[in-house]
Amino acid sequence: MLNIQDLHAGVDNKEILKGLNLEIKPGEMHAVMGRNGSGKSTLSNVITGREGFHISKGNIEYKGQSIIEWSPEKRALAGLFMSFQYPVVMPGVNNTYFLKAALNAKLKHHGKQELDAAGFLKLIKEKLTEVDMDTSYLQRAVNEGFSGGEKKRNEILQMLTLEPELAILDETDSGLDIDALKIIADGVNRYRNKERSFLVITHYQRLLKYIEPDIVHVLIDGKFVKSGGKELAIELEEKGYSWLES
Amino acid sequence: MNISSFQTEFNKIMGRDYFTNHVKPIREQAFNNFLEEGLPNKNWEDWRFTDLKPIKENNFRISEIGDAPTQSIEINEYGLNDLPTIVIYNGHYQESISSIPNGVRLISLSEYGEQKGWRFNEPKDSPFDLLNTAFMDSGFCLSVDKGVQIESPIRILFISSSENKIMVSPRVYIELEESSSVTFVEQHEGNSKEYLLNSSLIMGIKRNSRMCHIRIQNNSGNTFNIGNIHIQQDKESHYSFYQFACGSKIGRLNLFTNLNGKGAECFLNGLALTCDHQHLDNHIITNHNAPNCTSSQNFKSLLNDSSSGVFNGRTIVSKGAEKTDSNQSNKNILLSKGSLMNSNPQLEIYADDVKCSHGSTTGALDRDAIFYIQSRGIDMISAKALLVRGFVSEMIESISHKYIKQYVISKFDSWLNENTI
Repeated sequence: MLNIQDLHAGVDNKEILKGLNLEIKPGEMHAVMGRNGSGKSTLSNVITGREGFHISKGNIEYKGQSIIEWSPEKRALAGLFMSFQYPVVMPGVNNTYFLKAALNAKLKHHGKQELDAAGFLKLIKEKLTEVDMDTSYLQRAVNEGFSGGEKKRNEILQMLTLEPELAILDETDSGLDIDALKIIADGVNRYRNKERSFLVITHYQRLLKYIEPDIVHVLIDGKFVKSGGKELAIELEEKGYSWLES
Repeated sequence: MNISSFQTEFNKIMGRDYFTNHVKPIREQAFNNFLEEGLPNKNWEDWRFTDLKPIKENNFRISEIGDAPTQSIEINEYGLNDLPTIVIYNGHYQESISSIPNGVRLISLSEYGEQKGWRFNEPKDSPFDLLNTAFMDSGFCLSVDKGVQIESPIRILFISSSENKIMVSPRVYIELEESSSVTFVEQHEGNSKEYLLNSSLIMGIKRNSRMCHIRIQNNSGNTFNIGNIHIQQDKESHYSFYQFACGSKIGRLNLFTNLNGKGAECFLNGLALTCDHQHLDNHIITNHNAPNCTSSQNFKSLLNDSSSGVFNGRTIVSKGAEKTDSNQSNKNILLSKGSLMNSNPQLEIYADDVKCSHGSTTGALDRDAIFYIQSRGIDMISAKALLVRGFVSEMIESISHKYIKQYVISKFDSWLNENTI
């Protein structure tokens, strides 16, 4: 699904990722853990194609194709998705309008029939119940006046609606209380299957109690210094990161 | 246009015998006052950001018989076909193609003058007020009687169409008697070359009456549109204003609202869309002259290419205007590197117990938001369009007349299609 080889990337002239390798197979859930400044956000940004991040060496392949020259929308249409750490507030841009436009862009891209207003409404109402949000959402502007928990639930709602094959959850647990965390984890777990892959980026082990990863990677100074099973996350929680630093 | 050219044109209009002699001394006084002041230059505080050089460099003549429509006017080409419409063509009322709904009375400026004994309060807030009085064309007064509610919006359609460089000075009075209500659409259209349109609308809104005023400024690209609007509001009256401006080379709105009676309210909104070398200037003055009044100024601009804009909003709370509640907001998006916005929200408060706020923001489209939208599979151009639509939607959605709102949306859509953002 995703294959990252010897990735060197950064912002301006500063190299942040210093030779990172990662392979995610269909159906796998990978977690990346690391401290602030270790390069977690840079990793999610270069995978999704945010401008301002430069790749100086290495490659990112998605389903066998190099995507590093692709626009963010091309990556999204191909099945990549990121749940943002800081979802953007867009005053005046209606949730329904936005999400319908995004879904129809995807359907159109895949040569499928676009949904009309009624068809979309039926679909979105089903998805809303999955993340425990009410229909007042449909009239609101994107993330405007949303609480931290609502913003993150909105990200998961968008994921459930757009049905990506590879979803990156960037610090999805930050700022969430335990109830919201459970709702989000339930949404993600129901969405898991043997075709869909995930990359969960997090500070803490807390989220991984509810979303169990297959493989955990520890990111320090732009490289994975250790990878292992879910027990590695527990070990990190107990011992911190310093024992892994050279 | 230098002073001697104004003098030549003024002598011409004074010689026109189809205007009643009563108007002459009024014109004369205004013109003498204008000569003392002259046209504004950039040293004037209220005109710092608007360069009138293109107006000064052109010579405009007053309209002549030849400027009357040569063929029948098809007003349907300007949209809003179902509205009763009063047509002003190159400054002159076109009775044969105008229609007025029941309940509204229209009288000529001469009749209005007779009624008022030729003593009416001429606005003198800017040299363009004085010029309008000195050169006013065959104006008129619309009035709505006490207690009458006019359901259908009425349109005043100003068509500016000429191959020649002319100046027109329409003068319109609108009077709402107690407990009446009406919606006006003031629409500016036409296919003119260099053209100076200097209109004055003077409105009186009596106690407990309501006016909704929608101004659509869609003049052709070489027109200079100076719009002077003066409003006097009595107790518990309501005035709401929506401007949608995308036309003219230089557009300047001088909007003066005066809340003179307790509990009056005015809500002023504007959206300006500029491209090429257009310059749109909104000069908005709200005077709180009585207690318990509410006002808002909410103006937005989208600026593209090398265009520029001004928001100069001032709310003045006089001594004794306690419990004033006022809000000013100006938000602008610069769509190009070459565009320029000057924003100057001001508050002058001379009362103690008031609630006043103001704010202003100007910037490019939010790059994080563009990326967020792109990351959901929407291309960059559509992402920008989505944000721009979001930016204007609040303004357009607040127009309560569906039919007019649809029209404004379609105008906005075509602007967006014609502009690369």
